[in-house]
Amino acid sequence: MLKVDAVSKHFGGLIALSEVSLDLRPGEIHGLIGPNGSGKTTLLNMISGYYPVDAGTIRLDDHVLNDDRVPERALRGIARTFQKPRLLGPLSVLDNAMLGGWRDAQAGFLATAFLLPSVWRDERELRVRARELLIGVGLAHALDRSANLLEHAEQRFLEIARGLMLRPRFLLLDEPAGGLTPTEIEHLGTVITTLRDAGIGILLVEHHTDFVFRICNRVTALDLGRLVRHGTPEEVRNDPEVIRVYLGG
Amino acid sequence: MLTVIVYGLAIGAIYAATALVYNVMYSTSKVLSVTTGHIPMLGGVFGAYFIAGLGLPILVGLAGAIAVGVLFNLLTEIVAVRRVLARSDEHLWLLSTLAVATMISQVMALWWGTEPKPFPRLIPQEFAQGIGDQKYWLPVLAVAVCAGSLELFYRRTMYGKLFIATSEDAFAARARGINTDRVRALSYMLSGALGGLAGFAAGQLTFAYFALGFALTLNGFIAIAVGGLGSNLGAVIGGLALGMMSSFATYLFGGEYQQTVAIGILILVLVIKPEGLFGSKQVRPV
Amino acid sequence: MTDRSHILRPVALLAGVAFLVLLPFLVRDQYQLHLAQLIGVYWILIAGLNLVVGYSGQLSVGHVGLLAVGAYAFAILTGRYDVSPVLALGASGALGGLCGLVLGLPSLRLPGFYFAMVTLAFAVIINEQSVAQTELTGGGVGLPAQGFSAPFASPQGFYWLVLGISALVTWLTWNVAHKMWGRAIIAVRDSEVAARSVGISVYRAKLIVFVFSGVTAGIAGALFASLQTYITPDTFVFELGLFFFTCIIIGGRGSILGPFIGTVVLTALPEVVAPLAKLGNFFYGLLLLIVVLLIPEGFGRLLTQAMTRLKPQAAESKVVAPDPARLKAALGTRAGNG
Repeated sequence: MLKVDAVSKHFGGLIALSEVSLDLRPGEIHGLIGPNGSGKTTLLNMISGYYPVDAGTIRLDDHVLNDDRVPERALRGIARTFQKPRLLGPLSVLDNAMLGGWRDAQAGFLATAFLLPSVWRDERELRVRARELLIGVGLAHALDRSANLLEHAEQRFLEIARGLMLRPRFLLLDEPAGGLTPTEIEHLGTVITTLRDAGIGILLVEHHTDFVFRICNRVTALDLGRLVRHGTPEEVRNDPEVIRVYLGG
Repeated sequence: MLTVIVYGLAIGAIYAATALVYNVMYSTSKVLSVTTGHIPMLGGVFGAYFIAGLGLPILVGLAGAIAVGVLFNLLTEIVAVRRVLARSDEHLWLLSTLAVATMISQVMALWWGTEPKPFPRLIPQEFAQGIGDQKYWLPVLAVAVCAGSLELFYRRTMYGKLFIATSEDAFAARARGINTDRVRALSYMLSGALGGLAGFAAGQLTFAYFALGFALTLNGFIAIAVGGLGSNLGAVIGGLALGMMSSFATYLFGGEYQQTVAIGILILVLVIKPEGLFGSKQVRPV
Repeated sequence: MTDRSHILRPVALLAGVAFLVLLPFLVRDQYQLHLAQLIGVYWILIAGLNLVVGYSGQLSVGHVGLLAVGAYAFAILTGRYDVSPVLALGASGALGGLCGLVLGLPSLRLPGFYFAMVTLAFAVIINEQSVAQTELTGGGVGLPAQGFSAPFASPQGFYWLVLGISALVTWLTWNVAHKMWGRAIIAVRDSEVAARSVGISVYRAKLIVFVFSGVTAGIAGALFASLQTYITPDTFVFELGLFFFTCIIIGGRGSILGPFIGTVVLTALPEVVAPLAKLGNFFYGLLLLIVVLLIPEGFGRLLTQAMTRLKPQAAESKVVAPDPARLKAALGTRAGNG
């Protein structure tokens, strides 16, 4: 389980998060919603390791993550996507996805330079896995295309495929529905629920609240850095405080 | 011994002035230009050319040196910075300013020659003055004028406030209607003037020498790294400190260790306190 | 329309290799052979530097310092200590790698401009010390450097030595560039954020590549010294470091062939076009500026883009269509392997 315990964060005088707790279990989709400035992306950045924690702990099972840096958390099985996709433009879709397999690449620098057998094994295994994941998320048509020629939706799905190459236990999605058409959001839902059914714990930070309430098992709502409500989609969507925060202005 | 100190202050002053130029350019463009050290170099070379070469009066030579600084830096902004900033690749301005620096360096080497040439006397003064010689005091005076006028500019004038607004948050500044492109061009012109002035003032110390360009780019950078990027106080203190330490290193170990010691200081600071004495730590963006 | 690129590549490669091997018999005079040897030596350094600058995006302008380290090490070992040239060659490479480590450790954590300045500073220190340490380096006067013994003693023999080492270094860098390590360092260059998010230790990757480039620079330095037969501090000026760097940028980052062509063209051009020699660095600076402003990807990219035009283009779909069953299979049945 991935457990966030009374975590706080401030930037100078600005309080971004104030004693927020949530937990993420394998095989569930946990939605994280809130208006702009509520701290949801900040929280995601803290879980993945981009911002240090000012107070509280983030735990992966028994291990405290607070001092682990971003690559270490990735190697422990926490993958993420970004609000603005971070892809390698000149490389193909397949190469971009294979990057996610770094964790499993056995060959070191010198072994690679001298083309030792481990290099061929890595390439073969990671290429097969990447292809399957890419086809699975829906990018079969674009495997050899340069990443800088991709449409917005394709970029988002590619990032998910890359994240999956980490064989993650948890996947943190940073507003993956941003800029997607309704059909594409449908597809996104299909992919995310498939991941959930395979046992991955998913944190879904999103603005599209309908989408969140539709596919999430549990939802946490934030406002101005504080936890407002936590519970099932039904409970959260009907909570008066949540309604006030979203509709009251 | 006193000569060592005075020399250190003087050479430190030119380093400090270069560091100030770095700061002004960085504040509005977030660019550290490789051409920075070439501005004082041009000030010195053209000062010597106008006065000793063309026989023009000293004040005209001064105005000319400043004008060259302004023009060169404006040209740098237009050619190497403006178009490049529009692209997303951060490293491109390093390449473009490096290219411009190489070109101007070579042009000077071809036109002015590769040997350092003497810079004319600016104030009537006997040559055997020792520590009272103007070649030591003019640079110190120049950097004081530069630093002082920058402070006045930022605090008292509207343009100064525009510069500060742009440097703190260019996006917000644009949203408020500030033409950040023009502010940037003006800041490059201002820093070009300061650099030209400083180079002119230091001419008698450094001689008019094309190789000064890259040397000042490096040493001015060491000064700003030690003092802290973004801090004018840091630029002055960093520059003077560097000048003093270089001077003492030369006195103790000989001239062949001058750069080595300076760079040793740089490495030490970068390892221990990379943001410099007065700099601020950067927040990592995602 | 048939896919011509499939046949084009191996044929071009074979023709190129044949040309290079037979070159000593094809050139008209010693001068041209010397030029070819110089290009080869430069390429050994530039091929390694290419991984640093072109692939991992670390803008090192001071590699001339590492070249100097290799050159002086070779000259001193073979001259003063009577070490065999082949052994000295290896030692120069090792020393280059060590200096690369010492230079890279503090500097690779720094932002771009700072890093570039530190590498420049390194070249300046090496230059200053090669003048200062007269006992060791001969000071401003410099040192002679020995040639290799048979079969590399003759100009042709030396050429084939350089060719062999160039080919090896090219092969090594090619391999790195096209496998997982290549993807990793391209990520370091284009998106450190993405690199870290997949578990890459960015600093460690940069450092390993940098040390490798130090080894190649050291080896190049040794061969350079032997080729020139006499080295002085004046040989290793900052402008040479700039030249190496420019070959890569003009050739194009993320390419092996591009920088190679860049090296050949930029080394040979001033020799062939006399007025350019006089302009010297102005020409390189201008080319660099033009490339940065107009073709930031470099000429290498233009080349690959032209080659893709030879391939038949199918109509492109842009629709994302997930396959849940396949996705499920790809993920495996265990709950998140972790």
